[in-house]
Formats: sequence, C-alpha cells, structure tokens
Amino acid sequence: MKFLDRKLVIGLSVFYSLNVTAIVAPSVKGDLSKPSLDETIWATAKEETVTLMAQPMAIPRPAETATAQVKVKAVHNDSWIAFRLSWEDKEKSEAGKLGEFSDAVAVQFPVKDNKSPPPVFMGMKDNPVHIFHWRAQYQIDKEKGKREMKDIYPNMNPDMYPMEFKDEGHLTGLTDEKREIFSHGRAAGNPQSYAKAGVDEIFAEGFGTSSVIKNVEAVAHGEWQKSGWTVVISRPLVREEGSHLKVGEDTFVGFAVWQGGKDEVGSRKSVTMQWTPLSIAK
Amino acid sequence: MAKVKNWQINREMEYPYEEHRPKKQWAIVFDLNKCIACQTCSIACKTTWTSGKGQEYMFWNNVETKPYGSYPLAYDLRVLEQLGAQEWEKQKPYQGKTIFEAAPPNERVVHFHPKDEDWMYPNIGEDDCTKNVPAGDHLELPHDKWFFYLPRTCAHCTYPACLSACPRKAIYKREEDGIVLIDQSRCKGYGECVRACPYKKSMYNPYTRVSEKCVGCYPAVEQGKQPMCVQNCIGKIRVMGFINPPWKAREDNPIDYLVHKKQIALPYYPQLGLEPNIYYVPPIHADRKYLRQMFGPHVDDAIERYKKLKEDTKTQGLLVLMGGTDKIMHSFKVNDRTAFGYDEKGEEVVSSPLVEPLIERPAFDTKVGAIRNNTP
Ligand code: SF4
Ligand code: SF4
Ligand code: SF4
Repeated sequence: MKFLDRKLVIGLSVFYSLNVTAIVAPSVKGDLSKPSLDETIWATAKEETVTLMAQPMAIPRPAETATAQVKVKAVHNDSWIAFRLSWEDKEKSEAGKLGEFSDAVAVQFPVKDNKSPPPVFMGMKDNPVHIFHWRAQYQIDKEKGKREMKDIYPNMNPDMYPMEFKDEGHLTGLTDEKREIFSHGRAAGNPQSYAKAGVDEIFAEGFGTSSVIKNVEAVAHGEWQKSGWTVVISRPLVREEGSHLKVGEDTFVGFAVWQGGKDEVGSRKSVTMQWTPLSIAK
Repeated sequence: MAKVKNWQINREMEYPYEEHRPKKQWAIVFDLNKCIACQTCSIACKTTWTSGKGQEYMFWNNVETKPYGSYPLAYDLRVLEQLGAQEWEKQKPYQGKTIFEAAPPNERVVHFHPKDEDWMYPNIGEDDCTKNVPAGDHLELPHDKWFFYLPRTCAHCTYPACLSACPRKAIYKREEDGIVLIDQSRCKGYGECVRACPYKKSMYNPYTRVSEKCVGCYPAVEQGKQPMCVQNCIGKIRVMGFINPPWKAREDNPIDYLVHKKQIALPYYPQLGLEPNIYYVPPIHADRKYLRQMFGPHVDDAIERYKKLKEDTKTQGLLVLMGGTDKIMHSFKVNDRTAFGYDEKGEEVVSSPLVEPLIERPAFDTKVGAIRNNTP
C-alpha cells in the first residue's frame, strides 16, 4: 500500500509543479501583532490561490478532497508576517460534543534551511517543520475560556464531581491539582486538555510526531461567513527556536485545511502537495 | 500490511504491524449463564476510573441485554452491516474478511463513527425479550423467547483496531501483560480509535479533549490482583487471568483451560479479526443462529460441552473458584471434593468445596420456639 501511495504522490507532484503559485508578502505599515481582517492592511497584497489535495500519505486519510483550494495573502512589517487564508466551507464546525470536529487551518515553514526544505509532509527526522495551527475550537478557548461540561452540554445534570463539595469548609487542602487527578488528560499535563491561545505552534519531524511549543507567540483570528472561513495567522519573522524568516529573502510555506463538518481531524485533511514559494519583499 | 497469525479465525490475516505477542496476555472469561445484569461491575469501574468531568457518559465496563441492548447504540450491528455478509464454515478457517482486510485503501478498518446521541442510552433495551410472554405461558428448550446479558470491557486485543488507526501512535500494548493503553499525554483527541474499535471501547472525553479507554485495572494487575469489575462481580461469573495462544496453552492455567482445553469459552465477534481477549461461556438457551453470528461456528459444541459439566468435576471445580478470590490465579487444581487456585509463585490463594455441604434442619426451631423459613 505504501508503495502505491508513494507512486501516487510522485505523479501528483509532477503535475503540481506545473502550477505552483508563488506568494509575495509586501511590506506594510501597521501592527501585525494583533490579527486583523481590516482591508487597509491587506490591500497591497496579491491574493494567490493555492491548490490542496486530500492528504495522500498517512492512513487514515480522506476518501476525497474536501477543500480544493485556499486563497492566501501575506504581508509583513519587518518584524511580523501575517497570512490571510480563506476557503469555502458552508458548514461552520467548532467541535465540543462527542464525535464532532473543528474547522482548522495550518501554515508550515521549514526550520533548518529555508532554501531547501524537508519533505512537505510535516518534515522528517532531524529536519523539522514549524507549524502554526488555528482551530475554531481553540479560538473559542481564547475568547471564552476553556469550555466546561455545562457549556458543551447545557442540559446535562451530573450529581457531583469528585472533590467538588458544596461545603468545602470542612475539607482542607483540596486543591485544583488534586481534583485534576480525575481528569486524566489534564493530570498527564496534555496541552490538549488546557485552554488554547487560539493558535498552536507545533514542531514536527514527520507524520504523527507533532509536539506543541509551550510559549506561543503567534496570534490568530478567524471569521466565518456563509460561504466559508477567513483566518489571519500572524507570527514574528524570527521565532527563537523555530523558523527564521528574513526580509528580502525567499523561503517556502505549506498549507493544510480541515473541515470538521466532514469529520476531518488529524491526518484527515486537505494539504498542499508541495512547498509553495514565499518571497518576503523589501 | 504484515501477515499475522490469528488463532481465533484459524488463519493468517493482514494487520498494519508485525505479529508481536506480549509476555503475558490479560484476559477475562465470563460465564453468561450466570450474569444477572446487576451492573455492579459497571459501577465498580465507574467509581474507580470514570467519575470525572467528560466521563459522565462513559462505561468502560457495561452490561447490555442481547439482542436489543447495546452501548453505544447498535454498535455491533452497524459494524457487521459495514462489513457485509461473510462466510465461515465450521471446521474451516474463517473464509470471510476481517475489518482490516475489508478496509478501503484510505482507512485502517471498516467502521462506523458513533455520534453523541449513540452514547446517551447505555442501558437501552434492558430486559427486553425477543417475544412477549403471555399469561400462563411456559418456556420450552431451547427457548423460543429469549434474551441474555452481555457484560463487556475492553478486550485488550492481540491486534487492536484502536492502536492500528492512531496516526500519532499514542496507543500502545504493554509487553508485560498485553494491556492496551492510550498515552494520556500524547493523545490529541482525533478519535480515530473511537471510530476504529468495532467494540466501541475507546471513548472520547470532551472535557480533556483526548480519548480514554478501559485500562484493564493495570495498577491492580501489577499487584497480582484482578480488575475491579471482576473482583466486585456479584454473580461470580468472571475470572481474570493470563491466556496463552493455543500452541502454548497450559492445562493448569484457568483461562487456557476454559478457552483452549475444555473449549467452553469463546471470543466474541472473532470474525472481525482483532483476536479479542474477553471470552464468553455462551448462554445455553438463546437462539443458536444469533449465537453463531456473535461467537462463531463453534458455539454449538461449546454449549454441548457446557451442558455435560455434571460429569466433569475438574471444570466444575474451576467454575466454583470464579469470584472466590481477589488475586489473579495462575494455576488451579481440583481433587474429588475441593478446588484450589494458586498465584504466580504457586502459593494457594483460594480453595472451595465442589459442592457446599447440605444441612437439613427440622422445620420447628425448639430453641427459639419459632418456625424456620427458607429466607436466606
Ligand atoms: S457484576 Fe457480574 S453478575 Fe452483575 S452484571 Fe456485572 S458481570 Fe453480571
Ligand atoms: S476492544 Fe477496542 S479499545 Fe480495546 S484493545 Fe480492542 S480495539 Fe482497542
Ligand atoms: S478492567 Fe478495570 S478499567 Fe477495565 S472495565 Fe474493568 S474495572 Fe474498568
């Protein structure tokens, strides 16, 4: 099976190399450390259409491509670079309940060498990629705080949770930490189980290897209108341990989009089949 | 895909990873003729492991009334439906496809994906009989109206579908006891295990946003104790121990004896191809066609052997040891009056008479001047 996949991928990349779009990020004045959809910031940037395909390498993968293209604009202000990503998705999905998944988008950069990046499919061992991953679900975390069960299932009525007593006066030394023992993911310190900052910064060295970075510097904001999402992800050009971008230089970016309403999550996503050139104009 | 040996379907099959059997394999045998659906097992597990936020709906151990009960809703029918009709002639290896072999190229297994409403009725269909029992009716054998109780935990499968489907490799099978665990710090909550497990024993926690499952009570097992759902079984229908594959089966190992030697306990839905490690002594009065679908073509033989247990003191002895000790029995022995269970070091952990002594007392108790009755 793997062999077949590879052949498919090589075939597709030959096809794709014929229509690769280059993204140019012009220099703009304005604060990019706050994600903004304001047209004045984006007016000078040319919008490019980047083609996506159902992720073809790792199983499970989507049976068909849910998101065929993402429209991209990029701008920078000498210290930050921002991407405005829009794609069609008629159904807004923010996850929360059982069996529901969130709409999401990711932008990926090489870490070691901007000129010759690792495989576009999330990098490889000792040659990582730096990913900025926005989810509608994470945006709710940022705006409203981590969802409680009452927020997800308002009509649910549990009798009580362990160590959450009405008369706490009688019990000393009851800390949140002690209560967390009953929430396995939180007790294990899984970042997935805590409120997100709207966007995750991730390192990956191949499929299934991603790990989130603790101090997120990037910012993001998305808005959904009937036809789909527009999401801005903004990051400092230079990320201490991660990818370094330089004004006047060229590098590469990769994109991925998930449609939660189509049960897409994890490896079920639409991705760029090869790196898209990115010029950071002077 | 690797070729692996699956003894339950008596042939090689395709699985994404190489065959790798753990040093020991966790297993439970349930005697379905004795389960009373008291749900003590479900509550024992619930109070031990799933009383936290996001676990409100979870029953890592559940007991459903077959054929109408299920948790989540119709999980088994929906998986069988996805797989489609398959052939399995008795005396032959399974001729049909497993869920791994029937999977389309973009999936690990054929599956269905339960939504939240599917999980919301854990005890649906409880005590529903296949037909009404009108006043004055009596039952004949085999029963024309029937139901039975099916208690279920994770089967800590030899070829777990949950593990095979996780793109992050956050699920692992322990070398020391074969227990299958989801790494709570690595899981990203993609829920691929929830989709892939045909028994639906991987569950998503919407509060912690990662998936969870029965942990086989590994902290107890590490101390030589049986899981909470086994220790607390009111009907004494369960025994947990370690199973060997048939080519290494030991006559004195309680699980090997019931599954391989005596062959009265069978895995459920073995045709799915996971080599699940929970085994059932099938209910003797339920519909045979239904039982063949659930336990495979050998179920009739298992029932015939079970019916003859009266003549078999050794198996009788082993069955009376069930529920007799919290400790894991690694071996057992039965003489003509008593059954004994031993731990890993060979020390006796339990003994039980094959037949409880019968004491007859006169109806009138002269000492207290009252008539005795039979209320225990
Ligand atoms: S505790 Fe035992 S008898 Fe009661 S429902 Fe569970 S398995 Fe059946
Ligand atoms: S029963 Fe399901 S969850 Fe348990 S090991 Fe098997 S596939 Fe995994
Ligand atoms: S083995 Fe332990 S964790 Fe698994 S169902 Fe039984 S009590 Fe629950």
